[in-house]
Amino acid sequence: MHSRLRTMVAGMAVVGLGVAIAGCGSSSGGSSQKTMELIVGTKSDDFYVTMECGAEQEAKKLGVKLTVTGPATFSVPEQKPLIDTVAVTKPDALIVAPTDSAALDPDLERVQKAGTKVIFVDTSASDPSLGLSRISSDNAAGGKLAADTLGNLIGGTGTVAVISVAKGVSTTDARVAGFEQEMASKFPGVKLLAEQNDDADSVTTAEQFIEGDITANPGLSGAFAANVITAQGAAAGIAQAHKTGTVKLATFDADPTQMSMMSSGTIQLAIAQEPALEGADGVEQALNAIDGKAVTKNIATPLIAITPSNENQASVKSYIYESNCAG
Amino acid sequence: MTSGDSEVQRDETPAAPGGDSGGDSKVEAEETPAAPGGDSKVQADETPAAPSGNGVAQHPGVPPASRGADAGAAVLRAGRRLITFSETWTLVALIILIVYFSFRAPGKFDSLNDFSLMGSANAWYLVMVVGETFVILTAGIDLAVGAVLVMAGVVADLYCLHHGGASASWAVIGVGSVLGLATGAGCGAVQGLGVTKLKVPPLIVTLGGFIAFTGAAYLITGGSDFRNAPNRLVNTIGLGNVPGTPLPWLIAISFAAVIVFGLILAFTRFGRYTYAIGSNPEAARRAGIAVDRHLIKVYALSGLMAGLAGILSLANFGTTTLAGHSFDNLTVITGVVLGGASLFGGRGTMLGSVIGLAIPAVLLTGLTIIGLNTYWQDVAIGAVLVAAVSLDQFRHRLRERA
Repeated sequence: MHSRLRTMVAGMAVVGLGVAIAGCGSSSGGSSQKTMELIVGTKSDDFYVTMECGAEQEAKKLGVKLTVTGPATFSVPEQKPLIDTVAVTKPDALIVAPTDSAALDPDLERVQKAGTKVIFVDTSASDPSLGLSRISSDNAAGGKLAADTLGNLIGGTGTVAVISVAKGVSTTDARVAGFEQEMASKFPGVKLLAEQNDDADSVTTAEQFIEGDITANPGLSGAFAANVITAQGAAAGIAQAHKTGTVKLATFDADPTQMSMMSSGTIQLAIAQEPALEGADGVEQALNAIDGKAVTKNIATPLIAITPSNENQASVKSYIYESNCAG
Repeated sequence: MTSGDSEVQRDETPAAPGGDSGGDSKVEAEETPAAPGGDSKVQADETPAAPSGNGVAQHPGVPPASRGADAGAAVLRAGRRLITFSETWTLVALIILIVYFSFRAPGKFDSLNDFSLMGSANAWYLVMVVGETFVILTAGIDLAVGAVLVMAGVVADLYCLHHGGASASWAVIGVGSVLGLATGAGCGAVQGLGVTKLKVPPLIVTLGGFIAFTGAAYLITGGSDFRNAPNRLVNTIGLGNVPGTPLPWLIAISFAAVIVFGLILAFTRFGRYTYAIGSNPEAARRAGIAVDRHLIKVYALSGLMAGLAGILSLANFGTTTLAGHSFDNLTVITGVVLGGASLFGGRGTMLGSVIGLAIPAVLLTGLTIIGLNTYWQDVAIGAVLVAAVSLDQFRHRLRERA
């Protein structure tokens, strides 16, 4: 018993020492190189991988030290500790894509109070007192573009389903709102089904959603799937109902999986953002903030509509996301 | 999570049933080691000496007279082992839901096409429920099922990618599938070892497994889904029907798993040991059951089922769907518990678990078809879950009082 207690105490001492050393390392006051941390929405999403690639390229160009972290899944409880750590390590700037527009406000406030400059990329917190710059695709415009393209694809009539992720994420909420508004105003002949939220990010739920939609509306002509998971689920559901190609599937993002689905004919439209540019802009604005220069409060990066007819064009290919930074 | 409120009398029946809240069966001390309180099929007013009840190993002193029970009573007993009062109640609830949705969306909900879609979309859930039932019956839990599903799919697809990719032959698909199943069983067995040898609670072991196996899958794939599952696998198993029938392969395979393992659970020694261990592991151990070895087998079985689920999912989606199965474990566990299984072990049946899974599935599809917000599904499932468990508790309290 005594020896076990001793081992425990020794172990804790080692861990404590390790933490202290790590802490010393990151807040190295002697280094003149500026430090930035990029916290993405989730590590396992090619959109964020592409953002990371763009940010790293820009950081190298500007001579800034950049560390990139992110939660394994797009969730608040997993991202919170990463943000809290930044309040301790105090880099010069934090570039972050918060997983909720409000839930992480207290943590971000702590970071900001500690002196770190906060820049939002992709998603943002709705509290205007947080963050010096907000860099994102104009998601509402993206939703609008999706509605315009899909509406034309289905000939302006029919029924369209909307399958999104959990509510409360600034980007997807804006996309869906933009999509629904444009569809209602430009294509009044199209019946829009109520938004369905795949809260648990489950491919199976998305599949069951679209299958139920098709069963209830045998003439379903199109569907808008907000991300790669809902797109995979919807595509499988459409295939099971033997309606591939008949139900035009539109999605957001040009993940390699989604592009492969376009090549095989299960997706007809992908609205692509430019995450590499968002990452690069984030680093650039962060450096401006650190150097006391003017910071652009809002930057809207461009979006394009990729369809089977233009997916192989050179100008379009640069919008397709990467799964690693080698290419 | 063990009850341990039963005494083990050495000179008598080695496995006095305890079950958790007092099992269904009464056991007279001088009689046979009857049911360990599995939601049991041996009713107290029935022949008290039914050695074939979900009892533990046969005690040498069992009076053979009971074996001579006539065929009719034997069939009744067999039937009772498959379905009990719990299942009747949940089955009624399921039927009410089906009738309601058929009424609200006639020709749409109650169509062969719709049931076919529901069955195939829930095929991998059903298969995982089979494995989870065994685990929960032992008073354990397996939180890693979704992650093992993904791992198995990744391993299977990885093999196929290197041997033909999208045009891989059936032989390659076969080998890949076996590798996937073996991966599943292996992951499960490792968890079983954690539970038995390291003596870590199943909740923690399988939580760790969930995190670790997810991480491993991401490591192997480099973070991005493998996309080109063999076309033959997708077109035949994923989208096709059993030749000459309107029955999708996904439904055929998942139902076959349910039937095979449901029968194993109800009628074999493996099944009885599972109930015994869940009911009273100490008594089971003293009765001569190799509890640790059995538990490892049970967790390996759960892993194997998750592996099979992974193959079915790969066939359906055509990709490894790395990020799309994170909360499958909750769906599966909810199904098992809704079906009447007790998280304290020893009580539950395969049929109950199937019904328990069917209820949320019917709710999701039904609510989607009639256009009602699917958040109502969550409210409904929560209510049904609490109602089902509290009804069960109520029933047991009544029995104990009597």
